[in-house]
Amino acid sequence: MSNVQRAAIAGAIYLAALFLAGMAWAGDIKGKVAVQGIRSAENIAVYVDAIPGKKFDAPAAHITIDQRKMTFVPRVEVVLAGTTVDFLNSDPVGHNVYWPSVSGNKKLAHNLGTWPKGEKKGFQFNDQGVASLLCNVHPEMSGYVVVVATPYFAVTDKEGNFDIKNVPPGQYTLKTWSEDGKPVSQSVNVTGESVTVDLTVKK
Amino acid sequence: MINRRGLSIFLSSAILVSGFLLWVLASAPRAKAIPAFSRKYQTSCTTCHSNFPELNDFGLAFKKAGFKFPKDDDTFVKDLPVLLGAKAQKEAFPGALYPGELPGNLPIAFRYSGFFNYNSKIPLANGFVPRTDLFVPNTFTIIAAGSFGPNISFWVDDDISAGGANGAAFMGDGYLKGNDIGRWLHLPKDALNVRFGQFELDLPFTQARTINLTGYDIFNQASVSLVNPALCAVAADPANTQCTTNNPFFFGVPQRGIEFGGYPNDGNFTWSLAIVNGNNSNTATRNSKDIYGRISQTFNLERDSSVRKEVQAAGPTGPRDHTSIRIGAFGYYGRNALNIGGSLFPTLPTIREPFYRFGGDFRFKYRKFELWGVGMYGHDTNVIPNTTDILTATGFVPTTPVTFAGGFIEGEYWFYPWLIGLVRYDGVNSPTDFANGASRYDTRNRFSPGVQVLVRANIKLAFEYQRRFEQPVAGSTQFFRANGFVLGTDFLF
Repeated sequence: MSNVQRAAIAGAIYLAALFLAGMAWAGDIKGKVAVQGIRSAENIAVYVDAIPGKKFDAPAAHITIDQRKMTFVPRVEVVLAGTTVDFLNSDPVGHNVYWPSVSGNKKLAHNLGTWPKGEKKGFQFNDQGVASLLCNVHPEMSGYVVVVATPYFAVTDKEGNFDIKNVPPGQYTLKTWSEDGKPVSQSVNVTGESVTVDLTVKK
Repeated sequence: MINRRGLSIFLSSAILVSGFLLWVLASAPRAKAIPAFSRKYQTSCTTCHSNFPELNDFGLAFKKAGFKFPKDDDTFVKDLPVLLGAKAQKEAFPGALYPGELPGNLPIAFRYSGFFNYNSKIPLANGFVPRTDLFVPNTFTIIAAGSFGPNISFWVDDDISAGGANGAAFMGDGYLKGNDIGRWLHLPKDALNVRFGQFELDLPFTQARTINLTGYDIFNQASVSLVNPALCAVAADPANTQCTTNNPFFFGVPQRGIEFGGYPNDGNFTWSLAIVNGNNSNTATRNSKDIYGRISQTFNLERDSSVRKEVQAAGPTGPRDHTSIRIGAFGYYGRNALNIGGSLFPTLPTIREPFYRFGGDFRFKYRKFELWGVGMYGHDTNVIPNTTDILTATGFVPTTPVTFAGGFIEGEYWFYPWLIGLVRYDGVNSPTDFANGASRYDTRNRFSPGVQVLVRANIKLAFEYQRRFEQPVAGSTQFFRANGFVLGTDFLF
């Protein structure tokens, strides 16, 4: 084994050690969202806000939002900016998907059109904000795509629990978005272990 | 003073009624109060009514919020509404229909009321009146009410029994209301609402949904001129001349129109201004519209200032109404029209007779006791042809106006949450009615003590005794009192 080979192996071991150490340091942000004046604590987006100087590459994998029994499934989807969302129609009726704005910016409104059962259409969400998904065939249908700047996010379950995994150590701002509640912002310090954060969303 | 015969009737009747009440209380099946709002929120009638249909503080706040809980309504609704479009459709408006909602279940309730009447002996000369009359009136009413989303509410009630089997039904109130529309103008919360349709005027005390078995006399006062033409001033030819006032307007009857109003400052200040036909719940009979306005201010007298902001005050046995006093004023102005098309005086033009009503009111609440009252004055212009010969008359001249004044005062006390005592005095001074032979004196008065029993939250037995003013016996110089008592049964489901 030449010196070059030895150096390469040592370097690989060093990098692997660094990677593993990094994995060990990453922590989870867990917690529960309580609500006041809102019917349910379910489907509240909890995410780490943009980290100054840090930019994340969009995942290559697509996210799918289904249209099933005349509802968007899931009702709330959080994605990293640049993610492509595929809208699948699983209903035996045609569905349309459009959003009249992204966080009130009507210039970002978009209409994907209408398509039958079994087909899907994709859209890459590059602009941060909330797109309110609607169907002009069935006006009661409602869903939301929350586009955020980091890959650290979660959506609450029925009890309001959330779990954001593999967050690197650091000081962050945790934010919420919900359909009926006001946004909440709270600072959180991740040190490599699980951090528990309880939030309250008010109408 | 009650005479001995009347007293014995009263006492024996009271014993019978008490026995009946005890029997009912002991044997009535357990019923659940489930009219429309009870179903929607899975809550008892008593949440909003301490003695239905009278609203307590919470019920008033519920009504003012557009038939919604005053705070966090979404969390209390057990019967989820049907969304008529996703909430986010607002963003797509005007490119899409503005989203609304329908009540999850049909918001319908039914109310039955039947009154047993016992009448004192009425001279036959005044017409036969039976001593007892079983269940008159006897009404069955459909009530539908609710909200179509956060800012639109509705109410429809219709007595489907009014005409008997297959008879024509009569609608009470039927209106759509836009709640807190002033928010678009950045006005304080609840400062501006609008409702339109057929509705009871914003009276100081509702007659349509009163706890009393009989209406307030002052609200039922009609303005009709002297029926004896000889008594009409200026009329030198009594055979051909007549006073004209014959106003169809009644204060206590629903009117058709549009009303703007509000209740800012946590509902302590209220105002309303309505434009109505002035022909009760009938179609308009003239072109002009009438105006009704009312303001009131409630002074919260709770010692703890923090409690004053709450919807209800807290008591040792649960929430209760705030100790408070409310004072208000109201006024109505219209121009009645007669002789349209020469129906009374063929050669003369239409008569326009301005009329007005105004008054003041108060309500005092202290724990288990409430006291309220109204004072009111009414004035109708009254005209006659300007010559003794109608054929040569060119117009009309005013004569003695038709006026009245009066009011009522009523007290209510809860001995128990289910046993309520009432006492009320009604008085109406009407020289015109006196001249028409309606009463022995100018003032007609009535003293009405009563007891009400909530058998269940949705079932009530109510008793009311009435000692009335003296009336002349027809064709005689004697007088009589049309006293009596009423036992009412009332239930909703």
